[in-house]
Amino acid sequence: MLYSSQRIAKPYFIAAITLFTIQVLFGLSMGMQYVEISIPLISFDTARLIHISLLIIWILFGFMGAIHYIIPEESERELYYPKQAIQLFWIFLSLVIVTFFAYLLLPYATLAKITGNQFFPTMGREYLEQPTIIKLGIFAILCAFTYNMTMTVLHGRKTVINLLLLTGIAGSTIVFIFAFYNSSNLVIAKYYKWWLIHFWLEGTWELIMEAILAYIIFKITGDREIVEKWLYVMVAVTLTTSILGIGHHYYWIGMPEYWQWIGTIFSIFEMLPFFFMVLFVFNVVNCTKCRSSNRALKLWALSTPIMAFLGAGVLGFLHTLAPVNYYSHGTQITSAHGHLAFYSTYVMIVLTMISYAMPLLRNTVTDKIGQRFEILAFWIMTISMFCMALFTVIAGIMQVYIQRTTDINLPFIEIQNSMNILYWLREISGIIFMFGVIIYIISFFVAEIKKT
Amino acid sequence: MNQDKVTINRSVSEIPDRKMAIIAESLYLLNLLIIPGLAFFILIWLFAKYDNATTMISGCHLRQAFSASIWAGLLLVLVTWVMLSTMNHDSPYTWMIVIPYFVICHSVLVLLGIMGLAKALAGKKFHYPIIGPSS
Ligand code: HEM
Ligand SMILES: [Fe+2]
Repeated sequence: MLYSSQRIAKPYFIAAITLFTIQVLFGLSMGMQYVEISIPLISFDTARLIHISLLIIWILFGFMGAIHYIIPEESERELYYPKQAIQLFWIFLSLVIVTFFAYLLLPYATLAKITGNQFFPTMGREYLEQPTIIKLGIFAILCAFTYNMTMTVLHGRKTVINLLLLTGIAGSTIVFIFAFYNSSNLVIAKYYKWWLIHFWLEGTWELIMEAILAYIIFKITGDREIVEKWLYVMVAVTLTTSILGIGHHYYWIGMPEYWQWIGTIFSIFEMLPFFFMVLFVFNVVNCTKCRSSNRALKLWALSTPIMAFLGAGVLGFLHTLAPVNYYSHGTQITSAHGHLAFYSTYVMIVLTMISYAMPLLRNTVTDKIGQRFEILAFWIMTISMFCMALFTVIAGIMQVYIQRTTDINLPFIEIQNSMNILYWLREISGIIFMFGVIIYIISFFVAEIKKT
Repeated sequence: MNQDKVTINRSVSEIPDRKMAIIAESLYLLNLLIIPGLAFFILIWLFAKYDNATTMISGCHLRQAFSASIWAGLLLVLVTWVMLSTMNHDSPYTWMIVIPYFVICHSVLVLLGIMGLAKALAGKKFHYPIIGPSS
């Protein structure tokens, strides 16, 4: 670590890991309800709301941590406003805590009422459930963060990596404006909602992910030139496929039929960025002459593209063709894709970054024990998430078959009942995943700190 | 320092038979992804026409891609065909097995192909685990 303002990354990472743990716990509670074990006090809808909101928020924390770490180093200077950066962290965290308890303790309708949703209605849409004032807060935070990072880069060295990070965060901030647009026409409301959700996940966040991956690979190999060359390729492919790929959300919401063609054709190619990510890391990383002695880091960095290829690329492709999506839309197949894609791209890239930066931030000795725990956690989490997605895909196939291809008119709940065993398997995978998270957290506490 | 890197890069692209290695791996991937069958025939033709027994990287990648393509065909077409022709199409369980089998098998084969291509681009040898010949 070269610049003292890089230290600001640490609280962001700690908050990210904490919120991650809570998110998984809420997921487990829902999985329990799927197999009809009731959970006291937390209803399914509240748990789902918190599970999804926390996911987005903790990954944002992870990204902000990563970016606070990378930008000073790439720009070869301290942050432009170091003090404000740490204040921003506390403001953001308090906003999250307030929202969390509001979701947990108040009925959603009450929350909408007391935050004045009737005057400026933005609530009630999946992923965008936050009360309007909280949305404003998030937007202000994103603006302040982008501003600070931009000023830092403008007054420092400009590299492909930090310019791409800026593009990613500025882009995320701009498309967040669509969170404030709502229409009483459901089609129009959904149309614009995907501008935010799809362009974050498959656009601006993907750019941030590619920049972080490139940075890590650069740190492992020490060769900037070749990393930048690949980065251009990945970014170009992402931008050319993802923008019109948004069509895959417009098939059945009431948009004109041509979206079925546009969505299908462009999103076929949306797996290409992940294809190139795998090609990139395996082309560039030559394990015999790796500089870094951090074995866990190498494992994270090489596996992230592979898993992203499976979760986002393959599982995305599986249901992205309009004729297939006609059957699979909004089933457990969607859920399987959502889980594996999020884990493999954004969870893994944040944990990769933490694996690189945390030992430097905490000044740990290249510790054997901590590494061993981290590697064990990696395998447990990755394999169990893979299994969870697999069981969910299988459940989804069964659901599609019974519910949408036959004439048997079973009630929804009965169809769900017939998939009980798969829901059990999913929940067991989830519990094993939680063990992985616990071991991951332990890995930080067993690490030896260097005495200065 | 910078000078160094340029010479390393140049030396990679100057490996004489690197091109053939890249073509072989690309054909393996094309066969799996875009033009099944056609790409395989081109690969057979290249395999027969060029010296595939050499110890150079082109020979290595030609042999590997050729063998792996045959295995891929068996695993994806033959096994799936056998499953579909022996199992009851009116049962959801058939599809709950066949679709995940096909998807997992196909994606693992594609991933291996990407790694093969990555090594070919870097001018290195590659060995497909299990489905590639051992030498
Ligand atoms: C980059 C990482 C990705 C993440 C994190 C991600 C995540 C998600 C999530 C959470 C959903 C559920 C949205 C909902 O609530 O309805 C979804 C839906 C969808 N995703 Fe992705 N995705 C990614 C990449 C992709 C790619 C590359 C493709 C196409 C090749 C794709 C195709 C789809 C489709 C077609 C749907 C709609 C499913 C339905 O009809 O129900 N995704 N994605
Ligand atoms: Fe999408």
